[in-house]
Amino acid sequence: MSDDVHHDPDVSQEDYMSGLRMARRDFLIKSGLAAAAIAAAPTWLKTEQAAAAIEASTGGAAVRDPIATTAVNAAKQYKGLSMGRINEAGPQALDDKNFSGPLWEKLTGIKTNLTEAPFAQIRTKIIAEDLAKSGALDSVELSPAWLPDFADQEVLIPIDSLIRKYKAQATLADLHPLYRGLARYKGKTWGFFDDGDVWALYYRKDIFGNGKLKSAYKAKFKRDLRVPRTWDEFNQVAQFITDQLAPKVYGTGMGRALGNPGNQFYFFQQFRANGGRFFNPKTMKAEINNAIAVKTMNQILLQNKASPPGVEKLDFISGWGLWLQGKTAMIMAWPPTGRISENILQRDKAFATLPKSQIVGKTGYARVPGQNGEHAGAFIKGVMATSENQDAAYLYNQWATSPSISLQRVMLPYTLRDPYRISHYRSPAYKKLWKGADKYLETLCEAANDAVLDLSMSGAGDYANALDRAMTSMYAGKDVKSALDEAAREWDSITNKLGVAKQRASYANFLKYPGATGKNTVRKLGQAVKC
Amino acid sequence: MRWLLVAPAVLIVVALTIFPLGFSLWVAFVQYDFALGDQHPWVGLDNFVENWKDPVWRASLWRTAWFSVTMVAIELMLGLLLALAMLRPFRGRRVLMTLYVIPLFISPVVVGGFFDLFVRRPYGAANELASWVWPGEVAIDFSQDSPWVYITLILADVWQWTPFMFVILLAGLSAIPDTLYEAADLDGAKPRHAFVFVTLPLLLPIILIAVTFRLIDAAKLFDIIFSLTRGGPGTDTYTTSYYLYQQGFEFFHLGQGTGGAWMFMIMLTFISFWLVRRLLKPVEEA
Repeated sequence: MSDDVHHDPDVSQEDYMSGLRMARRDFLIKSGLAAAAIAAAPTWLKTEQAAAAIEASTGGAAVRDPIATTAVNAAKQYKGLSMGRINEAGPQALDDKNFSGPLWEKLTGIKTNLTEAPFAQIRTKIIAEDLAKSGALDSVELSPAWLPDFADQEVLIPIDSLIRKYKAQATLADLHPLYRGLARYKGKTWGFFDDGDVWALYYRKDIFGNGKLKSAYKAKFKRDLRVPRTWDEFNQVAQFITDQLAPKVYGTGMGRALGNPGNQFYFFQQFRANGGRFFNPKTMKAEINNAIAVKTMNQILLQNKASPPGVEKLDFISGWGLWLQGKTAMIMAWPPTGRISENILQRDKAFATLPKSQIVGKTGYARVPGQNGEHAGAFIKGVMATSENQDAAYLYNQWATSPSISLQRVMLPYTLRDPYRISHYRSPAYKKLWKGADKYLETLCEAANDAVLDLSMSGAGDYANALDRAMTSMYAGKDVKSALDEAAREWDSITNKLGVAKQRASYANFLKYPGATGKNTVRKLGQAVKC
Repeated sequence: MRWLLVAPAVLIVVALTIFPLGFSLWVAFVQYDFALGDQHPWVGLDNFVENWKDPVWRASLWRTAWFSVTMVAIELMLGLLLALAMLRPFRGRRVLMTLYVIPLFISPVVVGGFFDLFVRRPYGAANELASWVWPGEVAIDFSQDSPWVYITLILADVWQWTPFMFVILLAGLSAIPDTLYEAADLDGAKPRHAFVFVTLPLLLPIILIAVTFRLIDAAKLFDIIFSLTRGGPGTDTYTTSYYLYQQGFEFFHLGQGTGGAWMFMIMLTFISFWLVRRLLKPVEEA
């Protein structure tokens, strides 16, 4: 607006100018103060999630979460302590930096000292700390797949007595049945499960609804174009879309880089969806080179063929980048895919890792082909046995994973924590995050009902690495059967080194988990949750 | 009193060199593996045998050998050519020399990361640039396809370390007195004869020094592999250092990794010993 609009004819020009100067000065001072206040306020203070978390931790009986409140009240005795944490570098660590860390300090006076590391290196840093016993780490993030090794070698402490002491038993009952047992090993609880990393199929509704594409597909294959339900159908549809739309859009494009995220996840899922098993449970001979394994690998190679060039070196973040730019029509991926597709995470400037989504409102959700989605990676919050602050570290873990605080954390407009509690899947607040969030939560819940787990047993890291390497050699053209034979030999060698009897017991323990195979998923055990 | 004066230095050497070396020797002969618990029974030569039995280790040794020889040979030739070109003063020589040595100051991890970005499909510029000089569209995965992945690794190392050869050889060339070339000229020697019979023999000790340093360094090739290929595809670009890193610090098979490191160190010691003897031969003869 121009000054003329506000000119009052009864006020002299001098008075007017004086008043204007005052108004401008006033405006500048107020703006400056507001800007300074915004700049000075920590990021976590500005979010509604923080307000809800504080209310749940300290509020009255009507709103408070007793599990969170108990942890906060008990932890206040450790005020002034500095607690060592480790989390995955990048988006996951934003939770510690921008939310849980500062909030915990505000509530209890305990500071958190964060170490960041890429996913696979979290394991190596925890082991290194266990060997060095420096006391640098107190509360750690670990994958369920590493738990048997960490429990066997007493890297972590069992927390059953602490759960009883701090009255947190109810926190376990609210977990989806797929996740309920993942922090338990040999009859003890070794941490709090904290990340529902189950894969789903994300597809472009606009592409699958494209009339010309549908007609062309029907003309070619004599059936309707639909969201694929088997891997053979997936490969056919993906290649068809690539043939029709590349280089603008490719049928698929999932991160195949060595160790990032790790190709074993893809194999684990499809291999079991095809009916495979990892070992002969009696002899412990590896079975990852049989006919089912060869079929699985050939399916995976066909997916690469329908993907953008360079997919063999694509890490999962770059895979998301392609998806968000609308370059791929379908991806099988972790739950943040649904949120980043709607720009839920990118609305926070702290989440600068990924571009803004160009496919808002166009994403559909389905269970992965073969129906058994992989529960890939995930995190448990544990307490290091070498920690000198075990009680404080435990209380932080109890608070952060309590139903109310974890709900806020899985709804944060950054980080990659995903819903894992039944209360998360049913949360009205979450369902309002974007149009279609209710369908997203329902899909994740259903995917967890049918999911298969990562191999979680002694030596899991070594087995995964050997398979990951073998898969990249097949991407580079090595014969599938001979590469799988080599991987199987390496698995046998790992088994022999760790001891066949020990490994047999460890594998038998793994097979007891719901989701260890495609035949004992949560749904097939009659424990499916209706979300 | 004199013992008191040297005590700090001795203590530092014992604490930082002798003790770790002795400890690692012990680790090489015991079971020291995270997945097998914190008991460390004596296993004799098992850790060494485990390495020899592993085909990935054996392949990594051969790969390290041919990587080192190929890289150093190319760096020597390019370094010598550059040194000869830069021997005589010309306009812009100082600027060019500064530009040539910049790669030496860059961390090898960064060099690997840079080449990774350069060759990575579909964003990297490598294929686009190759399309300018090659008829038709070039669609090579330089960090995945054989033999391109090896060529990329060699190029990355050559890009970084050719300046090292260049600097040392230029210093050597500058030290050759002009009078020798004048004498050769008076005897009717052509430039190529002067190069073969004057330059090369006098430069040979310097070449041997440069090659020795670089071979020892190249045999430890790790950083570029770590940031460019992570040893992949499969184990196709595992060097021995990368293999040992993975055994020790990713799998925590510390006994096997340390055993392998001792074996590798002994091999390198023999090679270095042979090279140093070659180096000292002219001095001893004189």
